[in-house]
Amino acid sequence: MSATATTAASPVPSLTSVFVRLKLSLLKNGLRQSGGRTAAYLASIVFGTFLAVVAVLGFVLLRGHADAVTVAVLLTGVLSLSWTVMPLFIPSGDETLDPSRLVMLPLQPRPLVRALLVASLVGVGPVLTSVVVLGASVAVAHGAAGTVVAVLAVPLAAVTCVALSRSVAAANVRLLTSRKGRDLALLSGLVIAVGMQLVNFGAQRLGRAGGLEALEPATAVVGWLPPAAAIGAVDSAGRGDYAVAAARLLLTAAALVGLLYWWQRSLVRLMVEPDGSTIGAAADAGADEKSGTGRLARMLPGGRTGAVMERSLRYIWRDPKTKAAWVTSLAVGLIVPLFNAFQGTGSIYFACFASGMLGIQMYNQFGQDTSAFWMVAQTISTTADAYAELRARALALLSVTLPYTTVVTALTAGVLGDWSAFPEALGLAFGLLGAMMATGAVTSAVFPYSIPQDSGYKNVAPGQGGLAWMSIMGGMILGGLLCSPLIAATVYLHVSDRQSLLWLLLPAGALYGGLLVLAGLKLAAPRTAARLPEILAAVSKG
Amino acid sequence: MPDQAFDGAFDGASDTAGTAPGEGAVPAVRVEGLWKRFGQQIAVNGVDLVLPAGKFIGLVGPNGAGKTTTLSMITGLLRPDQGRILVAGHDVWADPESVAQVKARIGILPEGLRLFERLSGRELLAYSGRLRGLPGAEVDKRAAQLLDVLDLAGSQNKLVVDYSTGMRKKIGLAAALLHNPEVLFLDEPFEGVDPVSAQTIRGVLERYTSSGATVVFSSHVMELVESLCDWVAVMAAGRIRAQGPLAEVRGSAPSLQAAFLELVGANGRAAAGDSLDWLGGPGAGKGGPGTSGAQR
Repeated sequence: MSATATTAASPVPSLTSVFVRLKLSLLKNGLRQSGGRTAAYLASIVFGTFLAVVAVLGFVLLRGHADAVTVAVLLTGVLSLSWTVMPLFIPSGDETLDPSRLVMLPLQPRPLVRALLVASLVGVGPVLTSVVVLGASVAVAHGAAGTVVAVLAVPLAAVTCVALSRSVAAANVRLLTSRKGRDLALLSGLVIAVGMQLVNFGAQRLGRAGGLEALEPATAVVGWLPPAAAIGAVDSAGRGDYAVAAARLLLTAAALVGLLYWWQRSLVRLMVEPDGSTIGAAADAGADEKSGTGRLARMLPGGRTGAVMERSLRYIWRDPKTKAAWVTSLAVGLIVPLFNAFQGTGSIYFACFASGMLGIQMYNQFGQDTSAFWMVAQTISTTADAYAELRARALALLSVTLPYTTVVTALTAGVLGDWSAFPEALGLAFGLLGAMMATGAVTSAVFPYSIPQDSGYKNVAPGQGGLAWMSIMGGMILGGLLCSPLIAATVYLHVSDRQSLLWLLLPAGALYGGLLVLAGLKLAAPRTAARLPEILAAVSKG
Repeated sequence: MPDQAFDGAFDGASDTAGTAPGEGAVPAVRVEGLWKRFGQQIAVNGVDLVLPAGKFIGLVGPNGAGKTTTLSMITGLLRPDQGRILVAGHDVWADPESVAQVKARIGILPEGLRLFERLSGRELLAYSGRLRGLPGAEVDKRAAQLLDVLDLAGSQNKLVVDYSTGMRKKIGLAAALLHNPEVLFLDEPFEGVDPVSAQTIRGVLERYTSSGATVVFSSHVMELVESLCDWVAVMAAGRIRAQGPLAEVRGSAPSLQAAFLELVGANGRAAAGDSLDWLGGPGAGKGGPGTSGAQR
């Protein structure tokens, strides 16, 4: 950097240090803003440290054991997989990494990516990852060669994990804002669904395999996949296979370079291309509109109910974030029960996954509106208005989820050839759907949070992450509890050998679910009507 | 808040009993002792305001004066800490019936809040009219006319997210007018709007007030307020500094701008530029950070 006359006193700081300091200040300010957030942050540090200590202790104990390599390589593989899918799932409020905020600055792509990479290494996650990877290499490093390679491999693997996460996140944002974004959102959702199922399979394998020997073929493959290949290299070096070790290290390094290049390309594109995800939608709207309301409207009831349903359903299709969330739910809801059924490990009760996942869409209804909620708030004055609004939203959801749940349950029953269990499973699924929608309606009114629209990087505004997770997790647990009478009835009928009465669970579940939805709406309506300004303030943040 | 909505209505009526309808029988807005604080910051610091019905009213003030906060509380979007607000004689923060009366009578175009932007302009109007309980056919008829008058007919099938700032203000105005409100609240309706769209908006608003309805809009563009309004309220640092007919507030000052600067005490700040001696002039380009960038 050339320091000139006026700036001689304070040399221009490097971009990297600027970004690292920016990240630290953002973190500090974010924590200062709310005590709850500080508590959540500290809790995550404590929990993460605990996990890391356990992992490292485990690795140290494993040292010398025959399965050490298998565990070390596979765990690193799982770790990097979670880094890959994390940005698609976990709401993160990391503004230093949001390219849209950097557009106006005169930055060269290469220093920018370097600075962003270093900044993203600052944080609890990367530090804990490094500790775990260090533990993994301790478990497999033998001899001087092994130690030398480990010294290279640990930072390489940790940095590759972070680069993986960042490049996937950037690519995902690019996907959602691209011209075909709305359609590609489908893909994004599907990838998540399939990824979840792969993790599920892996876990089942581990559970069933009994011995870790069964995983050796997997180790052979994962040991060549960066960044787990770096840990493989440590092991190879310890065994004296220097060529293999070098190849594995080089492969990881090459992968890191490739990822950084991919990330840089996505960043550059994101910064110079506008959000084109609406171009297709405009054409749809045009084709649909002749008389002010489309085909959809003609099938829906009139008045507020129809208008709200129509808008909700349109948003599922037109809003990339909503669409991605729906596709993920629909895909996971279909893939988990069906794949398990195909594998022969399934149970028809897995069909409840579909209704549970879809029920989540009822959560944070007003946050999905963003600050446009004022338009809704303007037309709600009484509890009856709020009830009509919430009921219409629930109806829009049910118009998709009821048939979908039925189809998924039927398909699962078909694959398993277990049609006798179809009624009870469907009854349970309806009950769960009702419970999720009831808790969703209440939490929408009581714990609204905003979904920032300006950035694909964030699903929750900074500082509201804890609230979001709390309301979803709490709601899901409560939803499960609300279903317990149905589950108890199912178990009782099975245990007491009254199989002939199990079909009763279908009408009972449907009725119970319906009553739960009504109760949820009745509880949520007065709270919504009384808290309109508070809800608007909560959903307008970010 | 005590449930005194209807008492309030009668109070308001008795103040100016006997006047012609539409000419301030009940003030369009009556605000008493309004307070709002955000943390340490007092945004609205005891505002008392009476805005007559049937007028074109400007709420003026510098940025951060509390205009948006005040308008948000008057329109029911932000809960006041203290104070009482009556719109057309109905308490905005009392029982649900009174609130319903208010919400049916007002239209708003807020600043800084979104619309349902993944709907087309036409769909947005159809949605918002039906939400207000108007019959579908009537909504579609009014929407078509509004789109036409506001020069949006050509873009009615485009998504609002693709609209320009001017188009957004216009579609927001259409949504606010759809149910034919008695009082229209507009927060910075001309901010970032091109002259053509501004003229269109102006025309619609003038037609609307000539029918006896009230427009309350906030702005910091004094020329605009001077040319449009017949009643102004000047706000600064969370307080009302003056309110009344335009001529009265302007007083002996040559323009509203001059009167405004006087009222908010901003005269004489222009000399503060002495410390910027490096800015511009023949010395420019020597030794600034810009030069180091150019050398690289």
